[in-house]
Amino acid sequence: MSTPSCIDPGKRGAQAIRLRPAHVVMDLERLGSLHQSRLSFMRCLVRKIMREGWQIEARRFELDAEGYGTVIYRIQTTGDLFSFVLFSQYLDPDKRNDRVIASEWDLTMALCEGEVDDAYVEYLRQNVPLQEAGRLDSRVMVLSRANRSVRNFDSVVAALSAGQQPEVEQIARVGYLYRTTAVYGSGKLGMADWEKVSSKHPDFARPFAAEMFNCFMLRNFSLQQAEHIARQRAPETAVALQPQLKRYFGIGNSTGLGMAPYLINHPQLISRWIEMRELALARVRGLGQVTVERLARLQVLVERGTLHIQQTVTEDDWQTGNNRVVLEDFAALQDWLASHPLHSWEQLTNWAEQQLSLQGQELLNCILLELYPELVDSLEDSFSLVESLELQPQMPAAELQALIERHYAWALAIDFTADGASETFWYRSEEKQEPRLGNCNLESGRDKQMPLGIGYLAQQCHRQLGAYLAEHPAQCTASFLLRHPEQRGIVRRMQSMAKTHYGEIQANLLDREVLPMHLLRCKLAFFGVSKFDPRSRLWVRNTMFQGAPLLEDIGQPFEDDWFLPLAPTAEKR
Amino acid sequence: MLISSNELTSLLKRVFEGMGYPVGYYEDAAGLVKWLQVHGEQGFGELQRALPYVADSQRPALELLAEESQALLFDCHGRSGLNCLPSIVELAQTKVLEQGCVNVKVRNCHNRKFILKLLVDCARQGISGLAYWQNGKQPVSEHVASIAVGARYPSYSEALLVDPATADTQTLTLLLSTRIDLQGQLHGSAGQRSGYRQVSPEQFARAGEGALEGGMDISIELWQQLNQLAEAVLVENSEQSRSGAGGR
Repeated sequence: MSTPSCIDPGKRGAQAIRLRPAHVVMDLERLGSLHQSRLSFMRCLVRKIMREGWQIEARRFELDAEGYGTVIYRIQTTGDLFSFVLFSQYLDPDKRNDRVIASEWDLTMALCEGEVDDAYVEYLRQNVPLQEAGRLDSRVMVLSRANRSVRNFDSVVAALSAGQQPEVEQIARVGYLYRTTAVYGSGKLGMADWEKVSSKHPDFARPFAAEMFNCFMLRNFSLQQAEHIARQRAPETAVALQPQLKRYFGIGNSTGLGMAPYLINHPQLISRWIEMRELALARVRGLGQVTVERLARLQVLVERGTLHIQQTVTEDDWQTGNNRVVLEDFAALQDWLASHPLHSWEQLTNWAEQQLSLQGQELLNCILLELYPELVDSLEDSFSLVESLELQPQMPAAELQALIERHYAWALAIDFTADGASETFWYRSEEKQEPRLGNCNLESGRDKQMPLGIGYLAQQCHRQLGAYLAEHPAQCTASFLLRHPEQRGIVRRMQSMAKTHYGEIQANLLDREVLPMHLLRCKLAFFGVSKFDPRSRLWVRNTMFQGAPLLEDIGQPFEDDWFLPLAPTAEKR
Repeated sequence: MLISSNELTSLLKRVFEGMGYPVGYYEDAAGLVKWLQVHGEQGFGELQRALPYVADSQRPALELLAEESQALLFDCHGRSGLNCLPSIVELAQTKVLEQGCVNVKVRNCHNRKFILKLLVDCARQGISGLAYWQNGKQPVSEHVASIAVGARYPSYSEALLVDPATADTQTLTLLLSTRIDLQGQLHGSAGQRSGYRQVSPEQFARAGEGALEGGMDISIELWQQLNQLAEAVLVENSEQSRSGAGGR
C-alpha cells in the first residue's frame, strides 16, 4: 500500500492552490526555523479538551509535606476513560541529569487506559520509577519522567508560602517548574502499540496526542504540587498562584539528539505534517481576504510576537542572534505594513520572502495561520497516516533512474568529495542505545552507522543504477536489486517518497557542519513548544504549554489564543 | 514477559542489522517474523529454528537459475527465507503483472513458513497466491497457504506427510496469478490425517487482534538472546562518544 500525497483536489479546491515548492520548504535550515502554529499538536489537543470539556480530577492526591507520594488523575473524555499516575520521590541532587543515561528522576508517570485499581498502581510503582529498566503492559500508553528546575521550584514555593506571588521576571527567564527529559509511547517497554491506541482510543488517534497530553497533565500537576507544598509549609500564610501567572508556567523540555533520527526514519509522516502546514498557509494566502479586522489582528499578533521574542531568554549566542534578527524583521514588518496598503496576503509573504530571515518568515507564516481558524483547523484531522514504504519491483530501471533524477536532484547535487562532506556518522551507543554523532576522522564505529545519510545513499544508488542500465537497459527494478541487493532499502524509500508531495528533508546529514538542532526544532515546532533555548548543536531546552489553559479553565469560555504567550502584567493578574 | 508489536519489530530490525542484513532486508526480515508471531503462528519458534541459518552472509547469494515467460527457478544456496523470499516474491510479482500467472520454484531455502506474510502483501497488490512446501525430518510435514486477491489474511493448513521417503524439505513451490483465484488446502481432516491443522483467515485476524490488545508473550531467555544479538549494532561507549550526544 502506498501513501500518496494527501493534497488531493478536494483539499486544494477546484482551482488548485499554489503551494511552496519542496526545495524551499524542505530546506533543513528553514525546517529549523519553524515555530508553534495552531496546527501544532499541543494546540490541537487543547482545543479538543476545551471543546469537549474533559473532566479531569485528582482521584488520589497523597503527597507529604515535601511533595513526595502518589497522585492519580481520572480523565473522563466524551467517550473514554483514562488514568494518569504520578510517583514523586526524593532525588539526590547529584543524580539529577537530563540525559537519556540518567537512572533516577524527581517525577515518573504513566498514562493508562481505564481506571487503575490498587494492585495495578502497585505494579506501576514497581516499574514506572525505573523507566527504561522497568517493564509495562499494553494498558499503559505513555511513560515519562521529569526533573525539577530546582531554583525555580524552590523560589516559587518560598514565595507562595510567604503569601506572595513569584517574580514574573523570573518566570519569564525559566517558565516552568519541571523539565521532562523523555516521553515514551508507541509500544516501547511493553506499552500499547500506536495501532492499538489509534484504533481503540480515538481521543489520542493523532500523532503524539497521548504524549502531549502526558505533558499537559505534568504541567498541571507541577503547579498543584508547588501550591500543596507551600500550604503544608505555611498553612497560615500560603497563597495559591494567581490564574494569569499560573497559566504562564509551562513544562520544560530537554530534547537531545535522540529525536533527530525519528525525522529521517519516518519520512512519510514528516512529509504529511509539512504538507498540512503548507496547505494551511496556501489556503490563507490564496483564499484569505484582507479585511480591516484581520489586519488589526495581524498587528496585534506582530506586536505580541515582538514582545514574546524579547521575553525569550537564551544563553546561546546563535539563538540570541537569531532572535535579534527576528526582532529587526518584525520592526521592518511593522514599518512596511504602515506604509503599504495590503491587497492580499500573498503580497505580504512575497515581501517577507525577500526581506526577512527564515525565522522571521516562518513566524509571520504562523501568525497568518492564526488569522483564519476556519481555513486551517480542519486540517488537524489529516496528520495521521499509515506509514508503509513499498517497493515497486516492476518499475523499469530506466524509469527508476529518471525518478531519482527528478525527486532527488538535491542529493545528486551534493559533492561528497568536498572537505568534510562525509565526515559525520550517526550511531547508537552501547550506553542505553543513545543516538550519537561521531567524526569519522576521530572515532571508530562508522561501520555500525545508522543509514541516515539519505543524500549519500541516493547518490550511490544512482551511480550503480547508471552502470547497470548501461548493460541492461530494458530490465526492471527487481532485476536491478537481484544484482545489487544492498540498494533495496534506498530504492524502496525513493520510490515511496516520490509519491509524497514534499518528499525528503533536503540536507546532507553526513556533513561535518550538520546542525541536528534544525531537525529537533522542526519536530518540536510541530509538537508546539516555544522558547527554544539551544544548549549546543545537539540538544535544546524549550517550554511546552506555556500560556495554555489550566485544568480549572476547562468548562470556562475559551479563546484559542495562547500563541506567543507573554509575561502577565500586574494589572492582568 | 509481555512485549509489544512495535518493540518486537524494533528489536528484530537491530538483530538482523547486526547479522549484516542490508538496509531494506533487515526491516523485511523483522516484518516476516513479527507477522507470524502476531498472528498466532509461533514466529518466535520459527525464528529460533531459523537462527542457525539467518546469519548467512558467508553463503552464496540468492541466484536466479532459470527464467521463462511464466516460470522462475531460484536457488537460495541454504540461506534463510528471511532474506531471500522478499526478493523472490518481488521478482515474481513483476512477472505475474506482465503474464497474469507465474510458477516459482525455490530450492535450498530454509524457514519457508515466513512466506505467509508475503502472500498477504501479494493480495494487497491484486495478486492471488498459493504456496506449498514440505518441512522437517521424521516426521516430515507438508504445508499449504493460499490467499485471494484483496484478502487481509491467508488460509493455511499443515499435516504430516504420508510418505516421508519422497520428501523434498528445502523446496518451496509458489503460484501467483492476477487471473486465477488460487485457493487451496491440504486434503483430509484432523480425523483422517496425523498432525492435520487448518487456520482460517478469521483465526489469523482474531490472533492479530489479541496480540494488539494484550501484547505478546516471549520467554525471558529468548528476549535476552535477541537483545544480545542486537548489541552488534551498538558502538562502544567512550568519553569522546559521550560528547557526541550533546554532553554537558
